[in-house]
Amino acid sequence: MKFVVVLFIIALAAWYLSYSATRLDRLHHRVETSWANLDGLLQRRAAIAIEIARSEISDPASAMLLTFAAHQAREASVRDRSQAETGLSGALGILLEASNEISGEIEKDLIRELQELTEKIKMAVAIHVDAVNRTQLVRKKIINRIFRLAGTAPEPVTYEFEGDVL
Amino acid sequence: MPLSKKRIGIVCPYGWDTPGGVQSHVSDLAEYLIRQGHFVSVLAPAIHDENLPDYVTSAGRPIAIPYNGAVARVLFGPIAFARVRQWISQGSFDVLHLHEPAIPSISLLACWAAEGPMVGTFHAAAKRQKVTFAVAPFLEPVIEKLTARIAVSEAARETLTEHLETDAIVVPNGIYASKYRNGVVDPKWAGNTLGFIGRFEEPRKGLSVLIAALPQIIVEIPDIKIFVAGPGESSEMLKEMQPSLRSRFFFLGRISEEEKANFLTSVGLYIAPNTGGESFGIILAEALAAGASVVASDIPAFDSLLGHGQYGTLFNSEDPDDLASKVIALFKDESTRQEIAERGKEYAQSFDWDVVADKIYDVYEMAMVGGSGVTLSSENRAWNKLLGRQS
Repeated sequence: MKFVVVLFIIALAAWYLSYSATRLDRLHHRVETSWANLDGLLQRRAAIAIEIARSEISDPASAMLLTFAAHQAREASVRDRSQAETGLSGALGILLEASNEISGEIEKDLIRELQELTEKIKMAVAIHVDAVNRTQLVRKKIINRIFRLAGTAPEPVTYEFEGDVL
Repeated sequence: MPLSKKRIGIVCPYGWDTPGGVQSHVSDLAEYLIRQGHFVSVLAPAIHDENLPDYVTSAGRPIAIPYNGAVARVLFGPIAFARVRQWISQGSFDVLHLHEPAIPSISLLACWAAEGPMVGTFHAAAKRQKVTFAVAPFLEPVIEKLTARIAVSEAARETLTEHLETDAIVVPNGIYASKYRNGVVDPKWAGNTLGFIGRFEEPRKGLSVLIAALPQIIVEIPDIKIFVAGPGESSEMLKEMQPSLRSRFFFLGRISEEEKANFLTSVGLYIAPNTGGESFGIILAEALAAGASVVASDIPAFDSLLGHGQYGTLFNSEDPDDLASKVIALFKDESTRQEIAERGKEYAQSFDWDVVADKIYDVYEMAMVGGSGVTLSSENRAWNKLLGRQS
C-alpha cells in the first residue's frame, strides 16, 4: 500500500515538473517571437528615420542627428537597445513637432507611415513587455529554480520604450 | 487592409441566441472580417442549431449559471471540450480569437486545448473579489498562453491587471458609425425631451435615478418629456410613480435599428443614469455618433468613454439632484449643448468598425508572427495517450 502511494506521488511530481517545463518553454517562445516582431518593426522605423533624414523635411543639423540615432539604434546590442531606441524617438520627436507644417506628398506619406508604425510599435511593446514580465515571474518560482527548468534559456531582458513619439 | 487572407477562429462564450454585448461584438467583427475576404469560423453555444449564420458552429446547448452577480449562459464539460478540440483541429486556423477567456466557458477550454497564435479579448469590468485569489493559480497558466490580450476599455484593463496581473492593449468595441451619423430628426421626439434606451426594469440601468430627478427638472422646464425605449413591462413602472409624473413618460417598447438612429439624433438629451455593471457603454458611443448630447453617470466605463466629460456631461452616479442640475443647465445653454454634441459626434467616429477592426487585425498580425498556425496543445496529447484517445 505504502509503495503505491509513493509511486503515485512520484508520478504526480513527474507530471507537475514536465508540465512546468512546458509552461516555461512556451513562455520563452512567446518572448522570442514577440521580440522578433518588435525588432522587425523597430528596424523599419530606423529605415524610415533615415529616409526622413534624407528628405526635404530635415535641415542638415537634424538630418545628422537623425541618421546618427538611427544607425545607433540599428547596431545596438539587446541590452543597450532600449536606450538607443529612446534616443531615436527623441530625435524624431524634435523634428516632427512641427509635422503639420510639412508640405509635399512624399514627405506626408513618410510621416503617415511613421505614425502608423508608431501605433504598431506601441502594441508590440505592450505584448513583449507582458511576455517578459510573465516569464520572469514564473522563472522565479522556487520549484522552477531548484530543478533548473528554465534550462539554458537566457533570462529575458525588460525593454522600456518611450512610446510617446508624435 | 490585409494582403493575404487568413483563417480566423473566434470563440464566443455566451449563448448565441441570447442577446448581449459580447455576442453582437463577435457577430459584427466576424461579418466585417468576412467582408475583408478572410475565412472566419465562430464557435459558440446555441440553444437552436437551425437559424445560425453559416460562419457559426454550435458547441452545444448553453447552461444558465449565476456568475459574477448575473446569470450567464455558458457551456463547459467533457462533451463541450471534445467539440472544442474537434473544431480547433478541423479548422487549421492561423489565429484564434477568444472572447472573455477568464470565465468558465468554451473560451477557456479552447485556450487550454490550443497551442499557437491566440488573442484574448476581455470585456468585463468587475471589482476585485476574494474568490479570484482562489482561482488565479488555475487560471494564470492557461491565460498566459494568449499571445496578446485586448481589453475593451480602461475599466476592463484595470480589472485584468488586478485579477491576473497581466496587461492588455485597449481596443474599444465597434459600432457602425455611418448608420447613426445619418439619423434624421423626428419632430415627435425632438424639443425639450430626454431619451433613455435599455432594459429599464433592471435596477442597474438607473431609470429610478432619472425618475427621482424629474420633479426638480419640471420646475425649470415645464414641458419636459421622457421617452424610454427598450423591452420591459412599463405598467409596473408607471404604477410606482407619482401621478403627476406619469403623463411625462412615454414607453416605446423595442425599437428597430433605424428608429434607434433617428431617436438618438432627435432627443434633446440622451440620459444614461446606470449605477454600475457596465464595462464599455456601447449605447453611449452610438448616441454620440448620432449627434446626441449625452448626460451620463460618472461610473468608470462612462467616465473613460466620454473622455472625463469632454464629449458628454457626467453627473455623480446615483445622485438625482446632480442629474437634475446638469440637465437644467444644458437646456438653458443651447450653444454649450450643441458644442459638446458636435465634439462627441466627431470623436465617435473612432469607434467605427473600419477603425476598430483594423486595430484588432493589427493585433492578430502581431500574434501570427511566429507563423506556425493553431494546433492542439501537446500537454493534452500526453493525457490523451494515457486515456487511450486519439489525437
